[in-house]
Amino acid sequence: MSWFSKETIAPALRAAPAGHRSLALRALLDGLHPERRPAVLDLGPPLAGNIKFLSGLSCRVRVADLHRSMCAEPLESRRADTMPALLERLLPLEPDEQFDAVLAWDAFDYMRVDQVKPLMARLAPRLRSSAQVFVLVSMQAQIPAVPLRHRILDRDHITSEKPGRDDDHDVMRPGPRYRQADLGKMMPTLSVRRCYLLRSGIKEYLLG
Amino acid sequence: MWNKREDEPLRPSAPTPVAATPQPPQPPVVAAAPERREPAAAGAGAAGIGPSITIVGDVSGEEDLTILGKVEGKIVLPKHSVTIGHGGRVKADIQAKFVSVAGEVHGNLVAGEQIVIRKTATMLGNLTAPRVGLEDGCRFRGSVEMEAPRQGTASSGAPAQPAAKPEPAPVRS
Repeated sequence: MSWFSKETIAPALRAAPAGHRSLALRALLDGLHPERRPAVLDLGPPLAGNIKFLSGLSCRVRVADLHRSMCAEPLESRRADTMPALLERLLPLEPDEQFDAVLAWDAFDYMRVDQVKPLMARLAPRLRSSAQVFVLVSMQAQIPAVPLRHRILDRDHITSEKPGRDDDHDVMRPGPRYRQADLGKMMPTLSVRRCYLLRSGIKEYLLG
Repeated sequence: MWNKREDEPLRPSAPTPVAATPQPPQPPVVAAAPERREPAAAGAGAAGIGPSITIVGDVSGEEDLTILGKVEGKIVLPKHSVTIGHGGRVKADIQAKFVSVAGEVHGNLVAGEQIVIRKTATMLGNLTAPRVGLEDGCRFRGSVEMEAPRQGTASSGAPAQPAAKPEPAPVRS
């Protein structure tokens, strides 16, 4: 039996889930306590697998589908001064609703700083003291024209895939390449707890 | 030769449960159809609200309901299924045993068994059910609350464990 025989490699390949390992997600999930029925805000699109996974942790999940919702709105309503009103409409919250975690994914890569600031200003009073925010920021000069779909495979792994064939997913656009200082401006009430640079050129941030 | 289903003419091999309107044989045809057959629509005693009908007010009853028109108000069918078909528009809270949405709904859904949001659906509201299915491509904004699975049935739902030693080194920018 050689080192590279099918018998040696195949079981290892079968055991390893596809996608990349996400230490920041792992840390976020470790911070959720199922016995408290945590509330999670997912700014990404509705994905059945993610909701099922989080429901398995006794989470209540609010799906915002922010990028698609914002794109459906006229440009003038997405200005910095009109963003608060827009967010009230696109992200309606229960009067006493609070969150233990926010999954922002790569949504901020598709927003300006002056758009993220009112979003986080709206969310800041809704975050519990132990709440954590998971953010992916691309360091690439070019990013896909629309956000990727991030699926949670297990506690440690995520896949990031381009949207379905309906979208023109080969189109790229300049990436903002936000740095940690930019995140600080967007979310002045939060600080970076963890930061990992992935081989794909994406930085994972966990803020809290 | 190999694919007998394609070679053979379609024939009604088994009697269908709905006697009044015999359905064509389902297999390959239904599998390729964009919208799957709904349990509510399959029931013999299903009531329907047609595309040209608008109802303003509360709807309740003792049979399954399929909505292709417009309903504003409240829908309460706790022992039955409610199906909002493609083109159906509902502005109402819905309480039913099974809810399937392929059209547009503004309201909160509570189901005793299952909620399914089809890819053609636009759903704005909260979902509460033991099982919730969302097809990729659907438009949904709201919260989802599912009953927790039984202990040991889902590995993903295992209690949190201490974090493993990080592999990539943390970076500072």
